[in-house]
Amino acid sequence: MPGTIPTIAEAAKLIAAKQLSPVELTQACLDRVHKLEDRLHAFVHLTEERALAEARAAEAAIMAGRPKGPLHGIPIGLKDIVDTKGIPTTCGSKILQDNIPDSDATCAEKLAHAGTVLVGKTTTHEFADGGPSFDLPKPPARNPWNTDHFTAGSSSGTGAAIAAGLVLGGIGTDTGGSIRGPAALCGIAGIKPTYGLVSRAGVAPAAFSLDHIGPMAWTAEDCALMLQALAGPDPRDPASATQPVPDYTALLGAGVKGLKIGVIHHFHEIDCKVSAGTQRGIDAAIGTFRELGAEIREVQLSPLPDWQACGSLISITERAAAYDEWAKTRLGDFGERVQRRLMLGALVSGVDYVQAVRRRRELRAELQAAMAGLDVVLTAAAPGEAPKIDNVPIWDLFERPSFTIPFNVAGYPAISICSGYGEGGLPVAIQLVAKPFQEPTLFRVADAFEKATPHRNTRPALVA
Amino acid sequence: MPAEISDEALDFLLARSGLALTPAQKAELKSIYAGIAGMAERVRKPRGPMAELAHVYNFSPTDLGEDL
Repeated sequence: MPGTIPTIAEAAKLIAAKQLSPVELTQACLDRVHKLEDRLHAFVHLTEERALAEARAAEAAIMAGRPKGPLHGIPIGLKDIVDTKGIPTTCGSKILQDNIPDSDATCAEKLAHAGTVLVGKTTTHEFADGGPSFDLPKPPARNPWNTDHFTAGSSSGTGAAIAAGLVLGGIGTDTGGSIRGPAALCGIAGIKPTYGLVSRAGVAPAAFSLDHIGPMAWTAEDCALMLQALAGPDPRDPASATQPVPDYTALLGAGVKGLKIGVIHHFHEIDCKVSAGTQRGIDAAIGTFRELGAEIREVQLSPLPDWQACGSLISITERAAAYDEWAKTRLGDFGERVQRRLMLGALVSGVDYVQAVRRRRELRAELQAAMAGLDVVLTAAAPGEAPKIDNVPIWDLFERPSFTIPFNVAGYPAISICSGYGEGGLPVAIQLVAKPFQEPTLFRVADAFEKATPHRNTRPALVA
Repeated sequence: MPAEISDEALDFLLARSGLALTPAQKAELKSIYAGIAGMAERVRKPRGPMAELAHVYNFSPTDLGEDL
């Protein structure tokens, strides 16, 4: 257990054995919030009183022999585009500064039902887009490994809060990498589940057909525990999947012996060359999987810029449609970065959008064929360590293709996990991808890697 | 799709979109037009008219009255 911050799995065992009180656990998180929040800006709204009340209720229920499961009494954060009944939900925007929803998003409701303790609403890029902005009602989140650096986004506050131990888990959303990016740069685990597995109801849209909701936590095992509470059909979400929900922890500890792992070398070695530290992390991960008994194979897909073009055209258009009314009537009320992103919608024609959606079918079929004999595929999650927060380009979608967007385009489940540390001492990461609804396999492989390597033993220095 | 856009064409697209941009925003949009044009070229592949969109769908049990 690194320092005094347990994982969800560790805390759950201690709580179940009545060796750890949810109130003590929550107070420890709140103490870290009080100590670090001025430097991290991980929250836009704290719910401290509610958190302590929920922790006391959890403790009473557990002591009375009514435990709800492994999330009972676990402190979490919810990205501030997730509706929370009676609690401000601003989407990081001046436009919704006074918005207090009258109902919970399905994901918030499910986590509350599982007994989690809500510490607060976490910082997001405005409406989950645009990048770190300094002209919004709240400042952008800072990376706990070095507060001069970016967290990635848009689930930036959730990533920072988990890495610093302000919460043990949280909700992120991912349209082109907004869970996996912050997970990678903050050195935690974050999974974008299969499209439709976790309900989007009550969560502000970014791009309807690319939006995914998912858990972020210190480890893949913790993500599995959270996904267990989150997955399942929801009539409020028209994209909700109807597949039965398996036991996401069932394959943890099974190892990777005999599994087949494909590596998309050209993504990170040719299409968008990663930093030396990230490449070392990928090479070491491949070596670890080989030592653990997995069979490594080469995978070839269309070039990364093809996936980026397809995903970007769909994303730009669907976002422009979602925010069409406000863009026409209140464009100046958005932060500068989102104004600049929204105006892109004027340049994409209806035919461009349809061609992108036709290309999407082809790309997904290509991935399906490539994965036919494989259990998972592996590539980078991010090009390198976190950049300085004041050096994040606005038009990176044209300058450098994303490693994460291909799996939003395909809808396949993908997880980012820490694979070490780069030259600057900040985390680097790998991304693992499974076939649709094969999250148990994804967790199996990610968990085996985390348990075989020392990367989960180190927290950011400022936490000490 | 040409890699450049004229002021007149940009004004037309902006008028159709309903966005009221500042001269600086218009200039920026013009400067990045090539990026969008490049993306549009990438998704235009030779394909027949029968090549479907990704979000073709089936009718759900609710559509069919099976879960009533």
